[in-house]
Amino acid sequence: MQNTLNNSMQQATQSITAIPGSSEDASIWHHMSEALNQSLYRVLTLLIAVLPGILAFFVALLVFATAGVLISWILRRCLSWAKFDARIAQKSGTDWAPASSPTEIVARASFWICVLLGLVIGVSAFDTSYATGAPLPISLLPYLTHAVGAALLLIAGVVVARFLARSVLISAVNAQLQYARILSLGVKWLVLVLTAAMVLDHLQVGGNIVELAFGILFGGIVLTLALAVGLGSRDLVSRSLESHVEHTGERTHIPDEVPTASPQIRHF
Amino acid sequence: MATANPITDNTQAAENAAADVLVLVTPMAPEHFKGVLANLGSAFSSGSFVVATQNELPADIPSSVRIVATPQSSAAWALKPIDFVNAAQYGRVHGAKAFLILGPEADSLSPLALRSLADAVLSASIDLAVPHYSLPSHAGLVNSAILYPLTRAAFASRVRFPLSIDLCMSPRMAERLAGVASAVSPASQADALLWPVNEAVAAGFVTDEVDVGSRAMPQPSDPDVNSILALITGSLFADIEAKAALWQRPRRPPLVRRPMVEVDLSDGTADVARMVAAFKLANANLQEIWSLVLPPNSLLALRRCSTLDPVAFSMPDGLWARIVYDFLVAYRLRTINRGHLLGALIPLYLAWVAGHINVMASGIPAERHIEAVAAAFEVDKPYLVARWRWPDRFNS
Repeated sequence: MQNTLNNSMQQATQSITAIPGSSEDASIWHHMSEALNQSLYRVLTLLIAVLPGILAFFVALLVFATAGVLISWILRRCLSWAKFDARIAQKSGTDWAPASSPTEIVARASFWICVLLGLVIGVSAFDTSYATGAPLPISLLPYLTHAVGAALLLIAGVVVARFLARSVLISAVNAQLQYARILSLGVKWLVLVLTAAMVLDHLQVGGNIVELAFGILFGGIVLTLALAVGLGSRDLVSRSLESHVEHTGERTHIPDEVPTASPQIRHF
Repeated sequence: MATANPITDNTQAAENAAADVLVLVTPMAPEHFKGVLANLGSAFSSGSFVVATQNELPADIPSSVRIVATPQSSAAWALKPIDFVNAAQYGRVHGAKAFLILGPEADSLSPLALRSLADAVLSASIDLAVPHYSLPSHAGLVNSAILYPLTRAAFASRVRFPLSIDLCMSPRMAERLAGVASAVSPASQADALLWPVNEAVAAGFVTDEVDVGSRAMPQPSDPDVNSILALITGSLFADIEAKAALWQRPRRPPLVRRPMVEVDLSDGTADVARMVAAFKLANANLQEIWSLVLPPNSLLALRRCSTLDPVAFSMPDGLWARIVYDFLVAYRLRTINRGHLLGALIPLYLAWVAGHINVMASGIPAERHIEAVAAAFEVDKPYLVARWRWPDRFNS
């Protein structure tokens, strides 16, 4: 393979040097073509060295993904037969409330674990072939593992932000807080900003700038929330303080704002 | 409430003696328990019943009352799975023909009511006798809004209080419920609710209601609707999900319905404005979540409702039925986290309550409105079945 490449490059050099012109032009062309040849040679050599690794990566991924599909199918059938969902529901009561059934989660988890395993083995094979075959380091490659970790962090952060935002929104609306949406958005952006900072830190991008920017943003959001809650609850605090002054020594009673507090209504 | 040393030595004779009726009395305050024993003494002849309880015995207990001790458990506002297990176990030992379970504050039930419940099982060959309470119109609203209409539509049962805290069962019904209760894990015993009516329908047993008059209803320790609604509705939704194969078959509800008992509602002056405000706030903020659960026509109808003044506020019966059905389907599909889902139902329930109170204020009897709501649930049952089977057809 290398002989073929060398031959083709020599032919290319000869054809370039055969171009008529001045001796200076010929020298420039000669150096240029030599530089190009060497570069082409290096890249092609690297590709040839890495090609088996890439192939191994995709084969490993394909094999493990297929195995994952098979395992998840078997697990799904077995767990359905064993009434796994019902057993989990009995054990955990009504608290078990993810978006999918336990059987589906186990089956999906097994599939993705297999895919992840294939990915790790594939990357390992790729890494081995790259390390042995690459004459030059590529600075982007070490970023691959960091990028995977950062992507996982980002996904987890977005999921957590969405869950917390909904929880806060529903609780605040049911407590009849007028600033429910602001509170929910604040929580969501707090988590998202935190996630973004973690992701950038994981990618080693930005350095101190990220930390500084995160501090400013996080502090700003907290201050905004504190002001929103403080201003929104001004009347409540005033009433509480007045009640405290009037009944010095007694336990301060803050009226319950929840609509269910009406003694005439009995929901059960 | 329950104490550490409840049973005295003079109950030893009752340990294995036969009795027609096994009465399981759940944990309650001593004064309530005393009243229950007095009513039982008046309702049943001496020697025909055995009381199984963990309550502390009062000092002046009649010698004719036979009592056996049950294991200690914490007090609760509703019947717990362990109550059904204990009832079946002690009833089996005593060869009981009827298993009467009495919930907290059962002293407010008259001796005649207790006797009627037992007679339904002993004489009328009923498997499950459920009391029909006469409650004030502002009480038991979760039951009126969701439990009764949904149970009636799904299981074709006209039992007005599907989650009654007193009931009487035949031996086979007691065994079935004990089996279901045994399957509940110890960790979730405290919060788990059983649905005897649904189980009776699933088993093909005969169910009937017995008028017991008024009763003091024990309230949960946390009276906040946020926790009550999520607990009760979530439990019913889960039970309906578990029995999906049963209720999707067409069933004809029993035609005979006892006359509606109207109770004075002069004590109720609920804050309708506050509930409507809660709904309007939710309508402004929860659209994103509701749109995942409700079809566009329901969202549009809710927007129209949100423009109404508190005094004129009402929620159409058909809209409420579809809302509950859509939430039930979303619960099954786990469209969003179930805690979030039940939380998002609360403002809609408050809106229904506000509308219900306005209907009562307009002079229409509460029971008539509740029956109309239940009828709307029955009429719209094909919508539930269709969405249950083909959830993607969102705008059907």
